Amino acid sequence: MGNDRRVGIIGVGCSKFGIRDELTVQELAFEAVKEAIEDARITREDIELSVAGTAGTRSYELMPAVPINEYCGFAGKGPIRVEAACATGSAAVYTAYASVKAGIADIAIAIGFEKMNEVDTPTSLAVGGRSGSYLWEFHQYGTTFPGYYAMHASAHMARYGTTDKQLALVAVKNHRNAAKNPKAQFQKEISLEKAVSSRYVAYPLRLFDCSAITDGSSAAVIASEEKIKELGLKDKAVWVEGVGYSSDTANMPKRVDYAGLKATVEASRMAYEMAGIEDPVKDLDVVALHDCFTIAEIMAYEDLGFCRKGEGGKFIENGDSDFGGKIPVNTFGGLKAKGHPLGATGVAMFYEIVKQLRGEAKDLQVDLKTYKGLTHNIGGTGHFGWVFILGV
Amino acid sequence: MAEEKFKMESRTFVLKHELPVSRVEKYWKGLEEGKIYGTTCKSCGAKFSPPQADCSYCYSSNMEWVEIGGEGEIECFTQLYSFPQGFDFAEKPYIIAVARFGDFKVMGWFEGEELPEVGQKVKAETKQDASGVWKVYFTPA
Repeated sequence: MGNDRRVGIIGVGCSKFGIRDELTVQELAFEAVKEAIEDARITREDIELSVAGTAGTRSYELMPAVPINEYCGFAGKGPIRVEAACATGSAAVYTAYASVKAGIADIAIAIGFEKMNEVDTPTSLAVGGRSGSYLWEFHQYGTTFPGYYAMHASAHMARYGTTDKQLALVAVKNHRNAAKNPKAQFQKEISLEKAVSSRYVAYPLRLFDCSAITDGSSAAVIASEEKIKELGLKDKAVWVEGVGYSSDTANMPKRVDYAGLKATVEASRMAYEMAGIEDPVKDLDVVALHDCFTIAEIMAYEDLGFCRKGEGGKFIENGDSDFGGKIPVNTFGGLKAKGHPLGATGVAMFYEIVKQLRGEAKDLQVDLKTYKGLTHNIGGTGHFGWVFILGV
Repeated sequence: MAEEKFKMESRTFVLKHELPVSRVEKYWKGLEEGKIYGTTCKSCGAKFSPPQADCSYCYSSNMEWVEIGGEGEIECFTQLYSFPQGFDFAEKPYIIAVARFGDFKVMGWFEGEELPEVGQKVKAETKQDASGVWKVYFTPA
């Protein structure tokens, strides 16, 4: 199936994450696009196709793809707008990747962006709470996004004995990492005591179990091997070695189980098979996974096959996902502490893994042995699931 | 302190949708009669809760309405302390749970003295909330 055309990432950019209320969405996207184009040492004229990813609705610009495309100087080169809730960024990268893989474009850019702070918190919650199935869930029961992950957490804690403290340890680790990431929204450490005693947002999840409401953008320039050779960028490229995608039901009552995300299991199997990954813990140097809530990181350790089902709590407690552990996870601070601007998140995972695999992650650099990394991006609670394997 | 940034406000934009629910009318009317309905596909036997007018498996639209009841068991739950727009009528943190009733699972608001537990047995009833929307409520069995 498919062709043997290799596709690589040659440039990445990422805005500072946080409350960026001084910028329009165009200006925000421009920050990441400019960095990515300069990083790739190309010019905007080299781009043949642009893909714009945003979950949308929270920004005053409801159809922002064209305004952004124009602002970044890509008028006429697309754009394709994609949406996959919190996994929008991965869907944007995939669309650009697939266009290059198919030979339709030789060089494409994926731009992920989100402005989330132009509306108040109740409005933001009401948008996120609609990410399941409006009619049967939000309309009747007032679901919110923290509420969805909290329901998964209740099942995981009841079945496997996962504790408040284990959840909080994820936040402590990711904040510790974000403290060294200049792009992070929260560049500060938090104590375990502070995390486990913070107020409930959605029981059993507390304030420090949740990612915040973040503005941000990220961009990745993707090119064919022939183009990469032509541009003389072979030493700089990070190759897409595996791709996996899956999804699950929009309605919680239609899920089989709540203690994990089937979309993660299936997307990772697909990506591992394509990339020839047999044991992810041994075969990967670094992982960016979807920790929108602390329980999400714990479930992902298990669903990605880093440990057995139910052992995710122990995995964080043992330091297995920290620097020097079995497999460093979310070295950049994760969604939890770097921030989770929905459409930008998936693309920003590429930014972070590309920096790691090039050895450019500075204070947060992992030891490189296999020179392979993984991105895991979830939309909803496994409503969308994406896994990419990158390598040099 | 950072300097106050120059800002403006957009024009007001009210977004309220008409809900096209005629094919699942029985579910919504059922709630007003104290009944919770799912659907079963007459062609392949697939069961749907919430109900569907079409079968996602065999593509038949020949569906039978089935009443869901008896004793349920909670599979997951949460208690929300931050309310979304549209739920500002809630006077205290509300509890959302998913419970299994035989072949069907149902979402509902849980009402009890204490927080529920996963595995707890519940019974279901229907009521209007303070905003007038009919829905399912669980109470300890």
